[in-house]
Amino acid sequence: MLSFKRYWIAFIVAIAGMLALVACAPTTVIETVVVTEKEEVIVTQEVEVVKEVEVVKEVAPPEMPVGTLTVALSTFPNSLDPPQTAERNATNASQTMFDGLMWVNDDGGLDNALAESVELSEDGLTYTFHLRKDVTFHNGDPLTADDVVFTYDRGLNGGFEYSYLFERAKSWTKVDDYTVEMTTEAPDPLFLRMMATTLIQPAGYHAEVGEEAFVAHPIGTGPFMLVEWEKGDHITLAANPNYWQEGYPKVENLIFRPIPESATRVAAIQTGEVDIVQRLSSEEAQSLLGATNVQVIRYPVDRVYYIAFNNLTSGLDQPTMDPNVRLAMNYAVDVDAIIDALFDGFATPAVGFVTPGNLGFDNADPFGYDPDKALTLLADAGYPDGFEMDFACPAGAYTNFEQVCEAVQGYLREVGIETNLDLMESGQYWDLEATKALPPIFGDSWSSTLGESINRLEGALGGWDASYSAWSDPVIDDFMAQINTEMDTQARADLYGELQVYMRENPPFIYLYSPNAFEAINSRVQDYRPRSAEDYNLFYTWVAGE
Amino acid sequence: MQKYLLSRLLQAVLILFGVLVLVFFMVRIAGDPVNLMVPREASEEYREEFRNMMGFNRPLLVQLADFMGGALVGDFGNSLHFKEPAMPMVVHRLPATLELAGAGMIMAIVVAIPLGLIGGFRPGTWIDSLGRFLGLLGQSTPSFWLALLMIFFFAVDLGWFPSFGRDSIKSIILPGFVMGFGGMGALVRLTRSATMEIRGEDYIRTARSKGLLPKTIYIKHVLRNVLIPLVSVIGVSFGYSLGGSIYIETIFAWPGMGQLVQQAIGWRDYPLIQAIAVFTSVVVVLMSLLTDVAYAFIDPRIRYND
Amino acid sequence: MTDLAPEMNPERGTGLQVDEERGWRARLAYGRKLLQRDKSGVIGLTIFIVLVLTAVFAPQIAPHDPEQQNLRMAKTPPAWTAEGTWEFPLGTDNLGRDLLSRIIFGTRVSLAVGFLGVLIAGSLGMLVGAIAGFVGGRVDNIIMGGINLILALPYLLFVVVIASILGRSLINVILIFGFTDMPIFARVTRGEVLRIRESGYVESAISVGAGRWRILFDHILPNLIGPLITVATFEMSGMIFYEAGLGFLGLSVPPSVPSWGNMLSAGRKYLTTSPWIAAFPGFAIMITSLSMNLLGDWLRDVMDPRLRRTER
Repeated sequence: MLSFKRYWIAFIVAIAGMLALVACAPTTVIETVVVTEKEEVIVTQEVEVVKEVEVVKEVAPPEMPVGTLTVALSTFPNSLDPPQTAERNATNASQTMFDGLMWVNDDGGLDNALAESVELSEDGLTYTFHLRKDVTFHNGDPLTADDVVFTYDRGLNGGFEYSYLFERAKSWTKVDDYTVEMTTEAPDPLFLRMMATTLIQPAGYHAEVGEEAFVAHPIGTGPFMLVEWEKGDHITLAANPNYWQEGYPKVENLIFRPIPESATRVAAIQTGEVDIVQRLSSEEAQSLLGATNVQVIRYPVDRVYYIAFNNLTSGLDQPTMDPNVRLAMNYAVDVDAIIDALFDGFATPAVGFVTPGNLGFDNADPFGYDPDKALTLLADAGYPDGFEMDFACPAGAYTNFEQVCEAVQGYLREVGIETNLDLMESGQYWDLEATKALPPIFGDSWSSTLGESINRLEGALGGWDASYSAWSDPVIDDFMAQINTEMDTQARADLYGELQVYMRENPPFIYLYSPNAFEAINSRVQDYRPRSAEDYNLFYTWVAGE
Repeated sequence: MQKYLLSRLLQAVLILFGVLVLVFFMVRIAGDPVNLMVPREASEEYREEFRNMMGFNRPLLVQLADFMGGALVGDFGNSLHFKEPAMPMVVHRLPATLELAGAGMIMAIVVAIPLGLIGGFRPGTWIDSLGRFLGLLGQSTPSFWLALLMIFFFAVDLGWFPSFGRDSIKSIILPGFVMGFGGMGALVRLTRSATMEIRGEDYIRTARSKGLLPKTIYIKHVLRNVLIPLVSVIGVSFGYSLGGSIYIETIFAWPGMGQLVQQAIGWRDYPLIQAIAVFTSVVVVLMSLLTDVAYAFIDPRIRYND
Repeated sequence: MTDLAPEMNPERGTGLQVDEERGWRARLAYGRKLLQRDKSGVIGLTIFIVLVLTAVFAPQIAPHDPEQQNLRMAKTPPAWTAEGTWEFPLGTDNLGRDLLSRIIFGTRVSLAVGFLGVLIAGSLGMLVGAIAGFVGGRVDNIIMGGINLILALPYLLFVVVIASILGRSLINVILIFGFTDMPIFARVTRGEVLRIRESGYVESAISVGAGRWRILFDHILPNLIGPLITVATFEMSGMIFYEAGLGFLGLSVPPSVPSWGNMLSAGRKYLTTSPWIAAFPGFAIMITSLSMNLLGDWLRDVMDPRLRRTER
């Protein structure tokens, strides 16, 4: 942190300088800053690359839960009640207290969790879940089929924002104490994956204490039990001594500390006040490379950033209805330069809507930066002098996205496409996006937590049926319908591949990039494995030297 | 005196009524909150259901009456994001913010009053320049910028104080300093001018010219003169502390109301924003009422005004 | 903007006593004398004039287009460092835009916010305050009730809420500051109108048969200008300062517009690796705010004979 010491000195000197200014001595402030600046740069230039630190295990993980793990969250969890969590941080915190019937393992595969085994009927419509018999909730109640049924009843009828997620199942019935049967309307290849995100809540406890008390202090079957939740300050959890996974969890106390300002998170990991900080920019991660006892982690995120075209409302009579124009715009934008400048090279150019970790990723070459080709395509399409168009992006919602949009605007200008960029506050932006009232081109991003891209595709390309889509194409609709009912994984992968080829020839987007996530951990933290969906499990994580 | 207090009280009630109306309409010019509050994938039916649930589809006057009725008993509905009653959330955050505002005020007083006194006694000296300069600097330094510098120097480089949170007595030093730094300027100026004013008063001048005035009495006169405006400055600056706390609490992850404001705005959490606006207005109006009453006690002239 | 509220409280602070016999010439002479004695006024005035000139001639002075990106040159340090180039004297930001040019053009945004904000607040406030002071009675009560209402609100909180509702644009920022700051001017105006109305010479003017409007233009308006200019200077400095604060919350002008607040806010992500991106706009804000406060202090001394004695 040499740079900051320097900066502080500069600040003191500046104060002294201004003091002199008031006392009318002819000292200029700027010059004092100048001197420190010179040394500053040398410091930054020494560090060039983010090194991904190999985690060296000095000792074996402990048998018993020991020590305290403090995790900084970038937002304030709105709720720990599973059906009410509004975003990733809340879900991640909540997830430490609960389990689902299934579990997505670290390789992205599906494992059984609270369900000991699952059977699927011949017609692919009925699932039979056999529950583990050795699971208890934090209050000692055993897990039974009633709890699963309760979880679904509550999820669907509780009046929650995400109630519609439970509509994926058509029915759920208790067969006996440890068996639940669920049916779906049509064969649903993603149904079991949904099970992994549906966390089972206790029917008995909920009936006992009532809705309000449960929301204030929820309990589950998970590795950690809630001890105290001081809103805006900390969430304290303790190891569940009766956790059904023998030998887990590995830490005794788990504390979540919300710190919204990323610069403060950078400070807190260096002082050792917290053990894990997430959502850092590549710059911030880079600044942590020299810090002692801090390791920087980088991983790809399953999220695609794009500039969308509109063929439903505002884009109807625009030049962008011509696929050649849309191709030209893809060639006009130097995505690599954007990634280098804004993400220090730590992002992957998007080649479609299927990301590298997703099923059916076809690993095609990105469009690449080719302004000449863009100009030719535009001329062929009848716009040799370009055109003018409105353009909108959300502000404050995504890392550096405002700057990305500004960069895109700059590149489009170079091929003669003059855009009027409107950066809107994200709330207002999504209002307009939902009513399809955005300009003919607009920026956004879409993530996926399923290991497949179908939700992302449906959400952004579903036409009038999807809230946030401004694009409709019968060919794409046809592909999506097939993918949705195809139970065979390989066949689905092939469909994704063909769809990607089509979506590159008729691009509904300017494809931008999939970002990398940066986190930093104290080097005593072992076996911390965040995934590309930006979630993580902490039951196997442990702290060395305790 | 009684009549004065009564009229001030009536005024306060009227002001609060106005605040309620203002807050109700202010939030409605934003358009339809439904699209923001429901997830992107939600169906049109759910949106409609949500609109019904929140009562956004009723006539505006009915909504207003409902809002006023609820406000009287402190019910602003549930926070949309945090899923719990909005007003208790806000009240729960008050102690942390008061603590921060108090710490800032103490820091400002400790630094500003001596500087102002000395500056007023000896205008033109280097201490006077220092005082005026620090005051100006405090007013011209963006607090979020100062806060980040403080964290990186005192928490990271020196390790003297925690970088965030409200865990121990040490936690308040940095945010309290940043809070106080901005308010210092007004205090230095105030003390300085009050000191100069009393110096110039005829009776003091006369007393001094006759060599009658010992330093202690002198200071006592000055201090009393400083005290009166000081009371009002404390009342007023609380309102500004609330504004400044948005930045300081966000950066220091301090669990007070400023932090809540930032989140409520980020999530466009209408009921929460309304509860915060009304509650802080109530606190500020009460503060100013109290300072007026205190004023009336300290300064007898007030009683005869109005 | 009223972090300086208490001593700016018009009913106590900036009150201009009618000073007919001295007149403007005497006042100017006094101002010159003050300038010679207290150089801080000179500094404030000089910096302010430089800022205005910079804003007016920004396109001529700035070496680059402030919005011209050059991603390949992003985060170039200032010219005097080993990695720097004199093509970008203060270095470039995260999109490779020239910082010096952005700061130069930033004066336009800051001064536009300050000038226009004060213009709106001042004209509205003068109108409202003059009506209240002149008509008096029930009208005065109602108006002052409203003014007190707005002054009672936690100012910055409401600015932030309104900005978040209206969305980011220069016009919105100016309007918000203009409207929320109006009460200060209304109170100053009303206070002055009352004071002058009650002073002896207005009565004597009435007794000689001078009409209301004549009194307004001949006696009241000239006396109002002094305190209003003083208040305006402080309020302008406040608006420029708070614009930066809105920028930090992402509520000020759109990000591509080179405003100091935006630059500072965007630069804080690079505090540890490329500190110059945030440092220069930060210093620009500090120096501007400082100079305008110095100027305001000086103006107050010049414009307000009563306060000369106490040298606030």
